[in-house]
Amino acid sequence: MLAAVSQTSVHLTLQSRVLAALLGLGFTIAILELIRRHKLQERYTALWLLVGIGLVLCAVFPQLLAVAADALGVRDTNVALFAVLIGGLVLVVLHLTVVVSKQSEQITRLAQELAIARAEPPPAVEEEELAAPQPRVGIMP
Amino acid sequence: MTVQESSEITPERQPPGRTLVFMPAFNEEFTVAEVVRSVRAELPAVDVLVIDDGSSDGTAHVARRAGARVASLPFNQGLGAALHTGYLVALRGGYDYCAHLDADGQHPVGELRRLLATVWEERCDLALGSRYHPDGTPPAGGYQPTLARRIGISLFRRLLTLTCGTSFTDTTSGLRAANRRAIALFAHRYQPDFGELESLQRSVREGLRIMEVPVRMLPRIAGSSKITAPHFVFKGLLVVFVGALRRAEHQERPC
Repeated sequence: MLAAVSQTSVHLTLQSRVLAALLGLGFTIAILELIRRHKLQERYTALWLLVGIGLVLCAVFPQLLAVAADALGVRDTNVALFAVLIGGLVLVVLHLTVVVSKQSEQITRLAQELAIARAEPPPAVEEEELAAPQPRVGIMP
Repeated sequence: MTVQESSEITPERQPPGRTLVFMPAFNEEFTVAEVVRSVRAELPAVDVLVIDDGSSDGTAHVARRAGARVASLPFNQGLGAALHTGYLVALRGGYDYCAHLDADGQHPVGELRRLLATVWEERCDLALGSRYHPDGTPPAGGYQPTLARRIGISLFRRLLTLTCGTSFTDTTSGLRAANRRAIALFAHRYQPDFGELESLQRSVREGLRIMEVPVRMLPRIAGSSKITAPHFVFKGLLVVFVGALRRAEHQERPC
């Protein structure tokens, strides 16, 4: 493993590492703040938090990226960084799509439940009205 | 913080206000009828509501036949949403007091009555049934949680103590009684995940008078606990951590 790591060199400048760390940290804090304000539910934040914390970890320990780069078969840690980020984003988007699908199904069902609950019984027909011939509008004979 | 035998209410005595007892039920057709019947027998003056949380079995039907009012959620929404529904019914229905218990028969109805007595007597705004209260002496054959559960429960208890500054012996018990003030607070918001922890944090923050009542629990008759999964702990930690960062809103307005 150590030999493999030494093959891939870490191509991250200090500047990009600091930037990535700050970005990841800011992102994580933003997520926590959104939860605190009840704008985000905890159940949808686990993946986002993983992405944020992962970014910080990669910036602080670039060796992690070297391991990832080696596993992916790429020589450059920058490529590995992007691969990890894009992988994380794809996961989050997929998760959200699953949630959206489930919710659209549930919204349909809720609308149906509401319509059924609100469905009024047919108006009570008076005796005289029954006797009189009903005009047929829009009904096929 | 403790209530013992002092608050014995005789069955003939009427509660001082309209009271709703509700129980969330998810696929509990084997136990819910018995629980409904025992609540109605023990507390004839209260209204009983079962919140059927999208059960796929005969829970709603069985509960209705046992004499409960049943609110059926069209799909499973989880314990938090089910309890929220109960508090909303209590608020909208103009109930002065409410209490909830599990539909699996783990909570003896006598204990529910002792809990309700504390809010009826206005000794607190929120009464929590505690399984681990030092004053409670669990009789033989009582509820015995597994080791993993005990560790989890103790972890959340310590965290809550740390973040609230108030010590609770049992934070995840599904046995609670509330007065109008607590009903309004919980009807306004009840978190779908870990609502029991968040609602407790919020109660402390908003200055509710909270009382822990030692209760005895029975082993589960049927069904299984829903609390498993490893990410459970992660989410719980997140809820408690973020909850600790929140400030009091002091809202008394009804919704």
